[in-house]
Amino acid sequence: MEDLVGSWWDRLVRRAAYPGYPQAAVLLDDVAPQALLFFRAMGGDPGLAIRSAVGTAHGARRRWLARVAGIDTHVELAWRDGQALYLPERIDLYPDAALNRGLYFWLMALAAQPPAQGDWLQSNSEGTARCLTTMPGLATLYQRLVAALLPLRNWPANGTGQAAEQAIRHALLQPGTATALPAGSPPPQPVPLWLHPSPPSAAAANQDDGQQPEQGHGDSRDSKARRRYRARRDNPDDRKNGMLLQFRAESIFTWDDYVRVNRHQDEDEPDDGAAAEDMDRLTVSRDGKTRASRLKFDLDLPAAAYDDTPLGDGLLLPEWDYRRERLVADHCRLQPMLPRDASPAPLPDKLQAAARRLRRQFQALSPERSRKSGEASGPDLDLDRIIRFLAEQRSGVAVAEPPLYQAWPPAGRSMACLLLADLSLSTESWLGEAGQVIHVIRDSLLLFAEALAACGDAFGLYGFSSLRRSEVRYLLLKDFGEPYDDAARGRILAIRPGYYTRMGAAIRQSTSILLQQPAQRRLLLIVSDGKPNDLDHYEGRYGVEDTRQAVLEARRAGLIPFCVTVDREAGDYLPHLFGKRGYSVVHDAHRLPQVLTSLYASLTA
Amino acid sequence: MNAPHRAAAAAPLPFYQPLADECEVFEAAWRQQLPLLIKGPTGCGKTRFVAHMAARLGLPLFTVSCHDDLSAADLVGRHLIAAGDTQWCDGPLTRAVRAGGICYLDEVVEARKDTTVVLHPLTDDRRILPIERTGEQLAAPPGFMLVVSYNPGYQHVLKTLKPSTRQRFVALAFDFPPPAVELTVLREEGGADEALARRLVALATQLRRLGGYHLDEAVSTRLLVYAAKLIASGMAARTACRVALVEPLSDEPDTLAALMAVVDTQFGA
Ligand SMILES: Nc1ncnc2c1ncn2[C@@H]1O[C@H](COP(=O)(O)OP(=O)(O)OP(=O)(O)O)[C@@H](O)[C@H]1O
Ligand SMILES: [Mg+2]
Repeated sequence: MEDLVGSWWDRLVRRAAYPGYPQAAVLLDDVAPQALLFFRAMGGDPGLAIRSAVGTAHGARRRWLARVAGIDTHVELAWRDGQALYLPERIDLYPDAALNRGLYFWLMALAAQPPAQGDWLQSNSEGTARCLTTMPGLATLYQRLVAALLPLRNWPANGTGQAAEQAIRHALLQPGTATALPAGSPPPQPVPLWLHPSPPSAAAANQDDGQQPEQGHGDSRDSKARRRYRARRDNPDDRKNGMLLQFRAESIFTWDDYVRVNRHQDEDEPDDGAAAEDMDRLTVSRDGKTRASRLKFDLDLPAAAYDDTPLGDGLLLPEWDYRRERLVADHCRLQPMLPRDASPAPLPDKLQAAARRLRRQFQALSPERSRKSGEASGPDLDLDRIIRFLAEQRSGVAVAEPPLYQAWPPAGRSMACLLLADLSLSTESWLGEAGQVIHVIRDSLLLFAEALAACGDAFGLYGFSSLRRSEVRYLLLKDFGEPYDDAARGRILAIRPGYYTRMGAAIRQSTSILLQQPAQRRLLLIVSDGKPNDLDHYEGRYGVEDTRQAVLEARRAGLIPFCVTVDREAGDYLPHLFGKRGYSVVHDAHRLPQVLTSLYASLTA
Repeated sequence: MNAPHRAAAAAPLPFYQPLADECEVFEAAWRQQLPLLIKGPTGCGKTRFVAHMAARLGLPLFTVSCHDDLSAADLVGRHLIAAGDTQWCDGPLTRAVRAGGICYLDEVVEARKDTTVVLHPLTDDRRILPIERTGEQLAAPPGFMLVVSYNPGYQHVLKTLKPSTRQRFVALAFDFPPPAVELTVLREEGGADEALARRLVALATQLRRLGGYHLDEAVSTRLLVYAAKLIASGMAARTACRVALVEPLSDEPDTLAALMAVVDTQFGA
């Protein structure tokens, strides 16, 4: 592993570590809740996550770089690639905590600038200058950061080292005027105010190709091929090659963030035996290239014995074939199920406080009272009608007394909401310290249900996953007819991720359930984490078009479909599926529970 | 709402900085006697635009802010008791028709659907307003124009205009003004000097990147004008930004702290 990462930079950081002031340390955890928002406001790519620079997703405490390089004290620098913005896990460079905190924000502002020309020195100096002109409020902070940094830096012993150090100091003091580093100078001391000269992923990639990493600031977006970190989703071109799942196998991710899965082509034929074989043993190779050592993988899909409990024989549902531009009747079999091993359970303790708060808020969403005029009895007089009646009576037109009261019948909000959650295997992916997406979805469902039960709107909760068209699994978590009680909570607590995302069929079934609800406004809320896909041809365009049709059908039937997703790339396809205003992307998946409930409140207000 | 209207004397033209050709579109629609629908986020200048155009065309303006309890009588008129007698009193819509002026229904999606139906005969080529209670039927004079506005944010997916209502209007989409225009607005409206206006506009650009992700609604021109006014009146810039731009946007402590960090990139000490 050392050979992948042990670039000159690691040798360098080992040598030139700043001492640090632990008592003034500021942790990434402290600024993380504000980081995403700040980085985006600075113009940073909204698709990027924020991660700790120690080498794993933020929150996972594995000091990867340190372990690999065999050192423990090193300077962590910030950098950005196509996946994330990486920030030091802690900053204790300065004796003043305010400065350490300021350095986090400075680094985010700098990293949000578009990549500048030139080598490491020039591009950082250029970026700094741009920050200071577009954000004059940062000037004071920057000056303080530089003034406090200079005394911490050593003077190199030899001449070229001194020239380089001189150039760096000049660039720090007069941003925007830097010339390139003197040729042939040894690796300079790290500059914690600047971005990483040779981000680990790029270094690893270069190393892998047998090249020495260049000193220049490479645009690390190009190093797509070697993402060290686990990616949540494949992109469409990867998809063509059969990449479909991610694994939890940590060992894999130390050399690559994900692996390609060569899946056997299978179309519609119900070749159960062979297909099951395919499902359980997939051939894995890196980057689709043939590797000498092909790995065999067992996917931990639930075996039949541990499966959920089916209810009835299932329902046949149509599916849209975009090539033939028609709905193919009885194409999928949807199987209603109950989660296995669900026993009544109370709301978990850790959610109690949030649930109490939500219940209070949602109770206040008082049922919409509408004034009804012209009632035969009621608490208020209908003045308009009385005056008209008197006027007409006076002119001798009116005869019998009309109904002259106003009533305020406690009409329900007349709102029904069906929440459909994607429980496919991709929800098993990892989110850092909040655990897996499935945990966040589970908590979201629990809190959402508490909120809706408090405001009295009719609601149902369902989950789905699929295993080809013959098995669209439709989990009943809370039916419309039943109360939200510990039995329903137990079912939500028992959900597990599995299989794929045949979204169209699940939406169609949800539509027909929701249409049976007598409410005036009916909201079909879909919580998803990615594109529709399934093992057969239900992928790419086919899956997207079928889902789009299902959404259109729901809308035509008078329902309001709305999708909430944690897929950062959702902007690419969700407008096509749900319309420009029919979806919302939750960039910080940990906030899904809050976002979901506040979204519901604002949608229905 | 039903108080008798006193025609305003020729007021000075309210300041409005055009973004594109909206003034020409408005005037053309008025000349052709077509109703106009304006959509756009809150505080982007819709109301101001209508006020400006009304003054420019020399037309009286009757504005109604719609809400879910607005009845047809609130628009058309009702009987009132005066001096022991009942007296018919025109609603703002009727007054606008009689006066040949502009009737502006703000946030029209908030009104109940049965209320907006009274607009139908006025918004097709009949241009009439039947007043059921008095048996009168008014024909709108050429000067009359109906203008409605709404905010099509995603929070409002459950509330939209009926297609049959919607398809009676010429529509203009508004958005927050581009930086150069907003700069002028802040100088004219907020009394900001060039340097202050620049920083506020830069801050607005930063904050608007968060609309839809972290903030339900992006910061409006209206709020920027507030901030400019407070600063111009001597309030410390950071304080003004906090009270006028940050606190109105969110209640979440983390979001507020992050927004203040953004403010500091423009107005930091
Ligand atoms: N183009 C502009 N020219 C002049 N002033 C503007 C312009 N755009 C916005 N403003 C300023 O912004 C303020 C708010 O605008 P206005 O009240 O018209 O918003 P609105 O779109 O009607 O908002 P809402 O939907 O909340 O009613 C105005 O008072 C004015 O100061
Ligand atoms: Mg307005």
